Amino acid sequence: MSLRSENLRLAYRSLQAAKARSFLTMLGIVIGVMAVSLVVGIGQGVKQQIADGLKQFGKNVFVVQPGRPQSNGALFAGLAGARSSDLLTAQDLKTVQKTAGVTDAVPLSTASGSMTGDYTVQTPFIIATTPSFPDIVHQPMLAGGFFEPSDGSKAVVLGMQAAQKLFNNSTEVGQVLAWRGHRFMVAGIFDNFKAPPLSMEADFNDAVFVPYTAAQKLSGGTLGIYKILAKSHSSRDMTQTISAVNDSLMAAHGGSQDTTVAPVSVVGDTSSQTIHLLTMLVAGAAVIALIVGGVGIMDVMLVSVTERMYEIGLRKAIGATNQQIMRQFVVEAFVLSAWGALLGVALSCAVVGLLRAYTSLQAVLVWQVLVLAALLAVVIGVFFGSMPALKAARKDPIEALRHD
Amino acid sequence: MALIELKDVSKLYGFGDATSVALDEVCLTIEQGECVAIMGPSGSGKSTLMNVVGLIDRPTHGDYHLSGKKVSRLGGNQRARQRRDKIGFIFQSFNLLPNLTAVENVALPLLYKGMPQGRRTKKAWDMLERVGLGDRGYYYPRQLSGGQKQSVAIARALVNAPQLIIADEPTGNLDSNSSRLVMELLSEIHKTGNTVLFVTHNPELTRFATRVVYMQDGAIKHDEKTRLGEVGRYARAVMYAVPETTEEDDLAGVSLLMSILGKHNDSPAPRKRTSHAKTKDRKTTSRRKKVPE
Repeated sequence: MSLRSENLRLAYRSLQAAKARSFLTMLGIVIGVMAVSLVVGIGQGVKQQIADGLKQFGKNVFVVQPGRPQSNGALFAGLAGARSSDLLTAQDLKTVQKTAGVTDAVPLSTASGSMTGDYTVQTPFIIATTPSFPDIVHQPMLAGGFFEPSDGSKAVVLGMQAAQKLFNNSTEVGQVLAWRGHRFMVAGIFDNFKAPPLSMEADFNDAVFVPYTAAQKLSGGTLGIYKILAKSHSSRDMTQTISAVNDSLMAAHGGSQDTTVAPVSVVGDTSSQTIHLLTMLVAGAAVIALIVGGVGIMDVMLVSVTERMYEIGLRKAIGATNQQIMRQFVVEAFVLSAWGALLGVALSCAVVGLLRAYTSLQAVLVWQVLVLAALLAVVIGVFFGSMPALKAARKDPIEALRHD
Repeated sequence: MALIELKDVSKLYGFGDATSVALDEVCLTIEQGECVAIMGPSGSGKSTLMNVVGLIDRPTHGDYHLSGKKVSRLGGNQRARQRRDKIGFIFQSFNLLPNLTAVENVALPLLYKGMPQGRRTKKAWDMLERVGLGDRGYYYPRQLSGGQKQSVAIARALVNAPQLIIADEPTGNLDSNSSRLVMELLSEIHKTGNTVLFVTHNPELTRFATRVVYMQDGAIKHDEKTRLGEVGRYARAVMYAVPETTEEDDLAGVSLLMSILGKHNDSPAPRKRTSHAKTKDRKTTSRRKKVPE
């Protein structure tokens, strides 16, 4: 249609005539679209990372944590576990190990103290565990292997960052470090853990894994366990195993329910849920940004309409109907918001690319969200753009012509 | 059937005590093919009358029939269509859109008629050719002189082949050369059968009219038929101090006027008596030459 193409041409011209103003308006939409797609993209990326992180546990792995299970599952139980008085004991570990259906169980405890490596003293995150740790957490090694039962209590395994800090970037096996006056030999170094940056899980990359027995001895007999990772015979009978573990722990604790047993996937799910919730929240704020962008368009259109009242009067005087005037301004608003949306999408792609390349956030582009944000931007832009246009179109030609 | 029929048309502004009357029960009938000059002092309602007749303003009271159709109570869009199809409006300040080229400006009314681009542009070029600007189509208004701008505006008014051309002081912003150019264009349009309505302050321009309407305080004070090339009788009264007749004036037909003036002693033009004797001598020769056409 000729009128439509004419309107497009007109829109381009009038936007060109006020470049700076048009650009600033567009910026509102650009930022709105970017905010929405980036927030969702980052949230989605983090969820993906958590899911990836969980993959290093087998499907039949479950967790035992201190604290009474809440309705929200392991999420708050995990937080409750931070209280030292509520830690699990070595006795609990044995109970779990002895329960029918459990093939393996390893403790995770934290120990304190500084470690002296190659000329440097560091206070890494010290995790005491047993030699069967790699049976449950499937994690490739950068060098060497995990400590074996035969290594006794004189071997440690380092996370990648801990190794870099303690040994000046050297990843050699067989170096010696000192902890609480005892010397330990580095048996192996883990490859980078794909630990999700927002998870409540300890950062294994910065950890030094020491044998549980040695840590127990050095801390004076008792060492609380903040988490037991256990494996059932197969993923099919995991529910049974979990309830069996739960029962035996309850029995051992005199009938009180003060531990939580849950599959790893549930733990991951709850943190995903939290992130999902947060994402939605921030995305909601971003949508508001988008609407504000729309208000910006209304501003510009209002100014544009007022500035061009004379033009409107003239166009009406030579025979333009209200609808024809209206269409002209709606097309203008459409062009403005469509370009803003396109630019926003393009910039979101660029920023996601940069995030993936230069940060640990593996943000993703969710095309549905991109399309939705762009569409929303255009709808908002056209909606807000039409209101001043409506006002302009309704003017009597003589009124518009006299307007100054 | 008359083209324009105004019956007791009033236009009021404001309310209550502050009401001002722009048009006071004006009755006016204009036939197809007339060329009417509207004169009168500032604020006499000339422009308001033009706006009402041109359908860009609504009368407060009264009836307006345009070529037999009652248009005084039409809605906005219907008025727009009437304007588009029947009326060409020429403004004092040209009112071209600055970011459109001359040919695009001319094509604008056709755009609103829904004519396809190709035909639109061709018609616009033809019309520009007709007003003598066939080589200026791609110029922007700022690159054109005043007279050229008004010519473009005339081309725009004509492009829809309207029955009625309304010009509100078309030469108000122009020098005398451009004024002549513009008025000649308008009279050409008139000769091809269009009805032309124009407002002017310049009595000289009533030469181009077949009828002169004088307005004061929103009412029509006097309405007279004139012949083409003749200044209206009342117009003469408000003419600025007429210079002594010269050869140039003769060429412009002033001497003829003077002779007519001599015959009508009741005419309100007392200042010109001094030149009577001189013009009377030439009366017989000049009249034969000037009157026809």
